[in-house]
Formats: sequence, C-alpha cells, structure tokens
Amino acid sequence: MGNVITDGEIVVSGLTKHYKQVKAVDGLSFTIQPGRVTGFLGPNGAGKTTTLRMILNLVSPTAGTATIGGSRYADLAEPLHAVGAVLEASSAHKGRTGRNHLRVVCAAAGLPDSRADEALELVGLTPAAKRKFKGYSLGMRQRLGIAAAMLGDPRVLILDEPANGLDPEGIRWMRDLLQKLAGEGRTILVSSHLLSEMELLADDVVIIAAGRLVAQGTVAEVIGKAGTAGTVRVRTPHPDTLLGALDGIGSSHGDDGALLLTGVTAEQVGDAALRAGVAIHELVTERPDLERVFLDLTAGKEAIR
Amino acid sequence: MRLIRSEFLKIRTTNVWWLFALGAIGLLVLAFAINALNMHFGVLQPPAEAGQQMDPESAAALAALAEPVALTSYMVTSGQYFGLMFVMLLGIITVTNEFHHQTATTTFLATPHRTSVILAKAAAGSIFGLVLWLVTTALTVPATAIFLNAEGVTPMLGDGDVIRAVLLNGLAYALWALIGIGIGVLIRSQIGATITAMVVYTVGTVAVSIIINVLTNLLDWDWLADVQWAMPSLASGLMTSGTSLPGQPDYWVGALVLVGWAVVTGLVGTLLTRSRDVS
Repeated sequence: MGNVITDGEIVVSGLTKHYKQVKAVDGLSFTIQPGRVTGFLGPNGAGKTTTLRMILNLVSPTAGTATIGGSRYADLAEPLHAVGAVLEASSAHKGRTGRNHLRVVCAAAGLPDSRADEALELVGLTPAAKRKFKGYSLGMRQRLGIAAAMLGDPRVLILDEPANGLDPEGIRWMRDLLQKLAGEGRTILVSSHLLSEMELLADDVVIIAAGRLVAQGTVAEVIGKAGTAGTVRVRTPHPDTLLGALDGIGSSHGDDGALLLTGVTAEQVGDAALRAGVAIHELVTERPDLERVFLDLTAGKEAIR
Repeated sequence: MRLIRSEFLKIRTTNVWWLFALGAIGLLVLAFAINALNMHFGVLQPPAEAGQQMDPESAAALAALAEPVALTSYMVTSGQYFGLMFVMLLGIITVTNEFHHQTATTTFLATPHRTSVILAKAAAGSIFGLVLWLVTTALTVPATAIFLNAEGVTPMLGDGDVIRAVLLNGLAYALWALIGIGIGVLIRSQIGATITAMVVYTVGTVAVSIIINVLTNLLDWDWLADVQWAMPSLASGLMTSGTSLPGQPDYWVGALVLVGWAVVTGLVGTLLTRSRDVS
C-alpha cells in the first residue's frame, strides 16, 4: 500500500541502540510537530546522529521504533517524496558533477531530470551545476546536500549539523530557508551543537545527553522549566540600603560592582529603590539563554561512555 | 527499472567505465596477439623435437586443440582473462564507491529496500559486462577469421560448439560483475578490495594451479587435479573451450562452477548489505 504522508509528525518511541559496550541511544522518546523548526541538541557523542540515522532506516535500532507520519521509513512507498535528509557534507562522488549527482538521485526516486535543475536553483548552485564535486567548497557541498533533500518536495526535512562549514552568510541563508519551509507546514528537524544558532532558528527543542532525553518543548518552555530563573542586575551607589529595602532577597556581586538579584522582578527592585530613596544607575532583567540552560542540563553527562 | 537507470547513470557519469573499457580492449589486442603466436608456434607447427619428448597426454591435448572447432573457440574468446577482470573490478567499484565517497546514505535514503539496490547494481554491472563482451566479440570474430585463414585452417565460426562458447563467454562477462559486487560488499575499502581481487585473480589463479599440480604429482591423486576448476577464473576458461579437451571436464562444469560463485557472492553480499548499519 502506498503510504502517503498526511501529516509529517515524527514519533520516536523507546529508541535504543547498543554498540558492543556502548549505549549510544538509550530508550529515547519524543515527538516532532509539523509546521515548526525543531532543534535537536546535545553535546558531541550524545547520540544525535545515531538517532537520526535510526529514524531514516540507515542504522537498525536495538529496540524501539521511529515513525514518520505513522510509517516506518522503510515502509514509505516513495521515501524521497515524504522525507528529505541532509546527513553529511561530503556525500557525492568526487568526479561527478553536482547536477549529475542529483540526476542519479532523481532516477532512483522516479523524478524527472528537470527536478535536479530546479533544486540547484533553489539552493543557488546553478552556476556550479556542471562543476565536479571535488571543486566544491564546504558550503557548496552543504547546499548540494540540501538540494538533494529537496528533490522530492518532501513534507519532512531532517538535517544533521547543517551549519557545519557554512559561513555567516550561508547560515543566515539556511535559517531563512528552513523557516520558510516550516512556514509552508513542513516538519523541520535540525540537529546541532551550535546553541546560539538554534535559539534564532528553532521553535521547539529536544535536548539529549548520553543517549537520553533531557528536555523537550518550546524554547521558552525549556528555558523556563530548567529552573535557571531570571536574574535582575542592578547598579546603585548604596547597595546595602537597597538590599535592606528588598528584605533579604538573595544577591551576589557582579564583576563590575553590580548586584545580581534572583527571585525578584525588575519592577519590585525599582519600587523598593524608590521607597528607600536609593539612586539607581542600571536596572536590567537578564534572561537566561538556551546555552546556559543547555550547559546546566547536560553538565556531567558528556563524559565519554 | 528506475533503479537500474540510476545505477547505470552512476557508472556513466564518472570516468571509470571508459578507462576500464579502454584497458580491457587494449589488453584484448595484446591477448589476441599472444594467443595467435602461441597457436602458430605451439599448436599448429609444434617444434619436432618438442613433439618427440612430449608425454602422450599433453600431445593428445595439443592435437585436440589443433582441431578447427577448438581453435576457433579459443581464438574467438581471446581477451576473456583480462576482460573478466575489468568487469569484476567494475562490480567492486560500483559498491565500494558508495562507501568511499559516502554516497551509500543517499542511495539507501532513496531506496530503503537494499536488496533492490544490489539487484540494480548487479543488472547495471552485467549490462556493462555484456556490452564489453559484444565489443570484444565484434573485434575477435573478424580477427579470428583472418588469422585462421592465414594459417590455412577453415574458421568454424558457424559451428554450434563455437557459438555456444561465444554465448557462454557472454554469460561469464555478466556473472563476473556479480562476483565483483559480492567482493565489494565483503571488502568495503576500495583500494583493499580492488588490490585483493586483482592479486587473487592473477597470482592466485596461477598459484592454485601450480600447488594443485604439484600435489597431484606428489600424492598421485588424480582427482585433485579437477579441484583447480573450482577457481572461478579457470572455470570461465573451461566454460568457453568449445570442444572438451582431453584431461578437462566438460564445458558445463565450468558454467555450473561460475554460476555457483556468482550466486554465493551475490547472496552473501545482499545479506550483508541488508543488515549493515550505514554511518
């Protein structure tokens, strides 16, 4: 039976991969929603690539299942029409031109050759279509990978560390492309260890460490749940008076003599300062960023297993 | 069908296929020339003194080879030795390229059913083998006719046994692609697989032949001499010998041995490919 993907939900359930001694992935479960960009985060060696390869039937799981739109990848009648994947930067024959590389994939997927040219156009590689792959820069190789993934116009796009090798302009280009594709209702799953990039790109995040799920949710949820509460940074010539007015709220001194207060809002600090008649030179709420949360969540788990 | 097209496109869009075809045809010319000299001096006009010293078995084999049908089969299938090697190497490369250039991921993403991928590779490799066989035969047929006429022997190109030898030669060209694919799956390193296969094919064939002959003579076990036909390269030659020569099994033994090798390597290769993690 043809398994046309109606919704592009990715469901990973109890996924496990044991190599001889190592539990690369250990009972991992999560769900990826369509129409959103989901960042798949974890330190190096956390099992991100192994998980993605199990979703794509390239690595066979020791236990558990992964489905895309309700079907296992191997059961998809037209896999490239359903799922596009970009897994490694250098994945074409060195002596083959970029366009011929795509044509080989088109032939296998039953797509017309014209799709190869359209995909090259989409990623801006048309001028290099007839150049051999060995002459491609790392960024061009990454673009060719994305072109190959887009050949079948898939509902689901899975990318493993796509920012590797891209210059800042290329990263920005990719961010815009992925957000546009998610806006069209596609499911976008992007693994990365570049947190600052993910904070700009992702709607949701799945964080794993040592092969296990650490956190999942929207970026805001994950930051909120992590318990790294917001910090209020305040500078005043009379810190002791202000602290007295705040009634024993925890504080620490920043490196430039500012107070860092937790458990209060900026409004409360401002009101307290007014009541106490203390001058305020600076008052800022410092939101924790994904990077801090990530480091807190995965601390101590990235040890080599 | 589209998978075969894809695999054929893979072969066609790199330089390897025409380098191999060129190599095979260059060596064909060389092989034909050596065979012609060998026939001229060794078989058709055996030196008188050599004929005196020869044991009756060898003399009978020579005489049998001098028959027009055997002679025609022998000459018209010239170049087989190197032709088959190139077909095998192409088979190896179609598989090892996928790992060498890390395209296995792309291939198996497009086709999660890996058995189909191996079947398509086998089909594309065999088609390449058959095309090479056609070109080879198109060259050897007129060359054989010219050579035998010049030697005063009537070429027996229309003879049933000769036609059978030529067709079985085509089968050998197709089957060796399969053997190559099996080797490529077993030894994923491109350099490792090609060098191992070439050494086994060239040195190994001769070495096994010599070892078996020495053992046969030492131990006086005649049956041992037949073991050498289990070598796929020798079986290929046997299969295309036209008439049965004294001291050799029939042609169909060679055909069976070769089909056996192709099936075994193809099956092992397919099973390994199905279960292997691609990373």
